[in-house]
Amino acid sequence: MSNNAEANKPSVRLEHVSKRIGGKTIIDDLSFDIYSGEVFGFLGPNGAGKTTTIRMIVGLMRMSQGNIYIQGHSIKGEFKKAIRQVGAIVENPEMYKFLTGYQNLLHYARMIPGISKDRIMEVVKLVELQDRIHEKVKRYSLGMRQRLGVAQALLHHPSVLILDEPTNGLDPQGIHDLRNYMHKLSREENVSVIVSSHLLTEMQLMCDRIGILQKGKLIGVETVSEFIEKGAAKVRMQVDDARLAAQIVKDKLSIDAAAPDETTIEVPVDHDKIPVVIDTLVISKIKIYSVITVAKSLEDRFLEVTGGKSVE
Amino acid sequence: MSNFFGLLQNENMKIYRRSSAKVMLIIMLGLILAAGLIIKFSGDQPKDDPHWKQTLAQENKELNKQMVSIKGNKQVTESFKKEIAINEYRIEHNLKPQKGETLWKFVDDTASGLIMVISIFTIIVVSTSIASEFDTGTIKLLLTRPIYRTEILLSKYVSALLFTVACLITLFIASWLLGGILYGFGGAGEAHLLYDNGTVYQSSWTIDVWKNYLLNCVSLFMMVTFAALIASMFRNGGLAIGLSIFTMMASSIVITFLQKFDWVKYVLFANTDLTQYTAGTPLREEMTLGFSLTVLAVYYVIFVLVGWAFFTRRDIKA
Repeated sequence: MSNNAEANKPSVRLEHVSKRIGGKTIIDDLSFDIYSGEVFGFLGPNGAGKTTTIRMIVGLMRMSQGNIYIQGHSIKGEFKKAIRQVGAIVENPEMYKFLTGYQNLLHYARMIPGISKDRIMEVVKLVELQDRIHEKVKRYSLGMRQRLGVAQALLHHPSVLILDEPTNGLDPQGIHDLRNYMHKLSREENVSVIVSSHLLTEMQLMCDRIGILQKGKLIGVETVSEFIEKGAAKVRMQVDDARLAAQIVKDKLSIDAAAPDETTIEVPVDHDKIPVVIDTLVISKIKIYSVITVAKSLEDRFLEVTGGKSVE
Repeated sequence: MSNFFGLLQNENMKIYRRSSAKVMLIIMLGLILAAGLIIKFSGDQPKDDPHWKQTLAQENKELNKQMVSIKGNKQVTESFKKEIAINEYRIEHNLKPQKGETLWKFVDDTASGLIMVISIFTIIVVSTSIASEFDTGTIKLLLTRPIYRTEILLSKYVSALLFTVACLITLFIASWLLGGILYGFGGAGEAHLLYDNGTVYQSSWTIDVWKNYLLNCVSLFMMVTFAALIASMFRNGGLAIGLSIFTMMASSIVITFLQKFDWVKYVLFANTDLTQYTAGTPLREEMTLGFSLTVLAVYYVIFVLVGWAFFTRRDIKA
């Protein structure tokens, strides 16, 4: 998606955005573009500034410097025009629990001109809440609340969808559903989706591009596949004597291999060097029963990029 | 402001759909009922006096005598004059005085106490309306719509004041009906006599009751605005409710203590009771209605500006 997206005008543009609170720089000179039809993930350890950035994009926090444009409208100067394009779920889907699901949606529908009752029922159907929409939200499960949260974010046909930690507290089914909505919206309706999460595997499945934030600075924007491939791959082998094999690899190829148990070794090695490792082991009379290449996960890469800081 | 009506609908929905709204209604009706029953069964209803004209004439003679004997005190003389004039007017126009509690007296009596209760309710409503959005996090969804924060705050403030109006109307109707049931609807046609500068004239009870309501609402209005300010500043409903109700309750005591100081006239609560100019004496001699209205206006503008600044300027972090 990001290929043809490059040709579009950016739907969200951050220009030298900084945020200082009490002399401390929370966000430092952030600039990047997000295009229509792509799912953009914000990644970073807790406290890196993901939530602050998202809150500045939706106007909940003011920036100290710079500007943010949504479909060309500045969130500072043309708040109403800019925010009209945005549907947001910031952290948990907080709804009025003493109202019914329908009343909640009606509440938000009244705040934007031109949303009909038909449109409300349309999004209700989309998130499959039609059976229980007239029940009070306090009787909803977390998954249902999340779906109601998605419904309120989609009511006004936003061209930019912003989800801050959307999978917090969701069960696997809920996460799966959410992922499906997001892909559907970005592929079929050309909506840009911005997601922040600390669940790396989730991000890997959801996002087209990823921006890594650390200490308020953007330290890289890459597509998910680029991001993972850049790191070296890993090979896992079943052998007869793992300790000996690891020693041989270390002595002859100067590669630090791990031996998690007596018959398994894991060798971090680039793809084109794999045959060399196998050759070396075979020559040294090590019996090899299987060879599996393990792609580096986003998590490994992430730890690598952020210098091994825990992600929690 | 095109969809301000929609915002009001939203805020109204959030006020009246809460179960607390029902509890408030029940408490209010219960208190009116209790007041009615207590007044009805505690005091003896005086017997009907067939010779009321003689009684009033007798009363006037007594009053005249007393007035001569205590001459000098302007205030007491004035109140005697008022009573005499009203009695004469009754004899002249054949308007029998209603002894004991009547429908209209009941409506008038319940006003100040119940308006205090309505003040507390409205303080709760406005504080909850603002602060609970922060407590529950719904503020994030509320403020990420194409609506300015000023409009959101205004809709919350206006809807709380509309709640007061709804309560006042309920109070009026409920106390009128209960007054009728307990003391007879015959009292509805009772004459309301007022005395002003030496002349007695008949006035409408309805107008007088609402005038009474409005005068009592000055304090309500200021305290509700104060509660909205605290709620916007600290985003904490409990604090806003507690502080506003405490200040309101403590104010009259504190003001009495401070009465001897010159600067007390600049204190908000020295000026919220405007009945000191219509009936009774001002707290300090130099105070006038115009002075009080000016002080109230200054406080009001400060409350509104500070509350607005906090609500619209501060970042949403929670």
